[in-house]
Amino acid sequence: MISFSYAFKEIRRRKYRTAVNIAGVVIAISTLITLVMAARGWETCTTVPLNSIGTDIIYIYTAPVEPSNKGCYIVNHLFSYPFNQTLLTEIEQVSNVECAVPILMHRSRALVLTGIDPSETQTNAVLPDSVIEGRYLTPDDGYVALVDKEYAILNNLTLGSNVTYAADFEVIGIVDVSSTNIMKSHIYVNLPVVQEILPEKPIGLINIALVRTSSPNTVEQTAAELEEKWPDSSTLTGWDLAETSSGIIQMNEDTAWNISIALSVIAVLFILKSQLGNVAERTKEIGILKAIGWSNTNVVNQIVAESLLQGVIGGLVGCGVGYIFAMYVLSTIGGEIGGALNFVTVDPLLLSLGFAIAIVSGIIAGVFSSLRATRLSPVEAIRKI
Amino acid sequence: MSNSNIIEASNLTKTYRKGNVGEVKAVDDASLEVKEGEFLTIFGPSGSGKTTLLNLIGGLDKPTKGKVTLDGLELSKLNEAKLVKVRREKVGFVFQAFNLIPTFSALENVQVALAPTSMPKNEQLDRAVELLELVGLKQRINHLPAELSAGEQQRVAIARAFANKPKVLLLDEPTGNLDTKTGKEILKMCHKASKDQGQTVVAVTHAGYVKSYTNRLLFMRDGKLFSEMPKDEIQEEEY
Ligand SMILES: Nc1ncnc2c1ncn2[C@@H]1O[C@H](COP(=O)(O)OP(=O)(O)O)[C@@H](O)[C@H]1O
Ligand SMILES: [Mg+2]
Repeated sequence: MISFSYAFKEIRRRKYRTAVNIAGVVIAISTLITLVMAARGWETCTTVPLNSIGTDIIYIYTAPVEPSNKGCYIVNHLFSYPFNQTLLTEIEQVSNVECAVPILMHRSRALVLTGIDPSETQTNAVLPDSVIEGRYLTPDDGYVALVDKEYAILNNLTLGSNVTYAADFEVIGIVDVSSTNIMKSHIYVNLPVVQEILPEKPIGLINIALVRTSSPNTVEQTAAELEEKWPDSSTLTGWDLAETSSGIIQMNEDTAWNISIALSVIAVLFILKSQLGNVAERTKEIGILKAIGWSNTNVVNQIVAESLLQGVIGGLVGCGVGYIFAMYVLSTIGGEIGGALNFVTVDPLLLSLGFAIAIVSGIIAGVFSSLRATRLSPVEAIRKI
Repeated sequence: MSNSNIIEASNLTKTYRKGNVGEVKAVDDASLEVKEGEFLTIFGPSGSGKTTLLNLIGGLDKPTKGKVTLDGLELSKLNEAKLVKVRREKVGFVFQAFNLIPTFSALENVQVALAPTSMPKNEQLDRAVELLELVGLKQRINHLPAELSAGEQQRVAIARAFANKPKVLLLDEPTGNLDTKTGKEILKMCHKASKDQGQTVVAVTHAGYVKSYTNRLLFMRDGKLFSEMPKDEIQEEEY
């Protein structure tokens, strides 16, 4: 029965109060969305790229082991010098290291050839479950290759076709590798074959070790230990890959929620206080309305409609602002692997939840502040001149 | 004017506690009967209890003692919901000092009286416009109270009081803030309405010229009602 048009007029007439109330909701809701999405982006960036290939640490060499060694760019902007394959056994001796898997990645212009040890089926640049056609490599394979699905389509490669990278290979398998896989290459060949065919003849050399640790909690510690033991080496963990340029605090989703919920509670209290002031200011008006036949329910409905309307507006604006901020923050997370937007997108469910929180805040503030109005005696209100 | 009483108030007393002064009897054992369609005026000086009496009759306030029957309903026996209905449907109040909502236009000030009724929104609008036309404010419907003269504000208050076609119109100092000419116009309007629509009017005032529009006069002094002017006030020539 109470019209939103009155509520609209009232909140328009009280521009300052309305603006402040709406700003409170906007801050709470946009922070909620931004923080939660940032946390999700962060968590995803730190886990997805490495976990999908079963590793915790990427071990590379940032200084030449022997002066004659030539390094090359491997993944994105990562540069590594080749090192002796026998180092793997030493790495495996470091505490908490479960295994170290050899990779020799080679780049020629935009094309990437990766040499792998196919007997490693738990941690590897490409895992057997990526094969969508044909078969995975075996340690006995010679001049045969796995090729990436997209690369195969682009170059009309099918099983049995020939693919050339320093030598000719027969395609025996096509693999579907997610673009979030940091080791994604075009061609995968048995490691000894790659060492043989490359012009540098890197016999016995590799340029990446994928290190798997025994516990996810000790990854950073193990990485530090490795770097300490081999000062010219460099390790990359999920945290390094996810590094953010926006300076947003690296937090987990639970922390983001706690902060946001605290903020929402503050926003509710804030609107509540503001609406209580509003009711106090309007004592006389509410008294008049009651004197001419408005029931307490009418008055409560009116005040709730007003603060609900503010909640709706604040929620919409807050979701919009939160969406924009979240997009921005996500784009700044995930340095080496590209923006987190590649892995997570702003969650529509989270937006709806933010909007719902705004509405509920509006209703709560409205109900509590209007309780005071119901206790108001019309006679007292009218006597005030 | 019919013979049945629309208002019956018997032995009404309203006591206010007033700090260290003790108790103040704003209304003191006042009894009153008003016939349907009657125009009754109650004279009394400021502080004599007129507003309090009207509030008791209109169901805005509860008496300390005594009872009020309005259109057959004994107000003290009604629950809050029924009292709200009485205020909304049976009584039209014109408060001392207009009491318009300052942020609402003339039109909205009338509409708020209709808002809690089941009348469809567009009919509410039509009715509010019609009422403002009736009180001669057709050209002023979108003005805020501050943009209206005292007389015009009082007309808005009267239009609002008429909104729900109440059986009883309670006017608290309807001419209080108005010059004599405007005051008379306002009274004429109320008088005409009560004659045309059979509305019962109870007006309280201390302005003498109200006399000519009234069927009956009562006098109030220190919370008590008299049917004749108390002796000590005859000198005050305003009456
Ligand atoms: N709410 C109240 N609390 C205390 N005293 C009141 C209250 N309302 C009225 N009074 C007192 O009751 C007396 C009558 O007041 P009122 O009915 O307003 O008189 P009138 O309308 O004739 O001027 C005055 O003395 C006034 O101060
Ligand atoms: Mg008075």
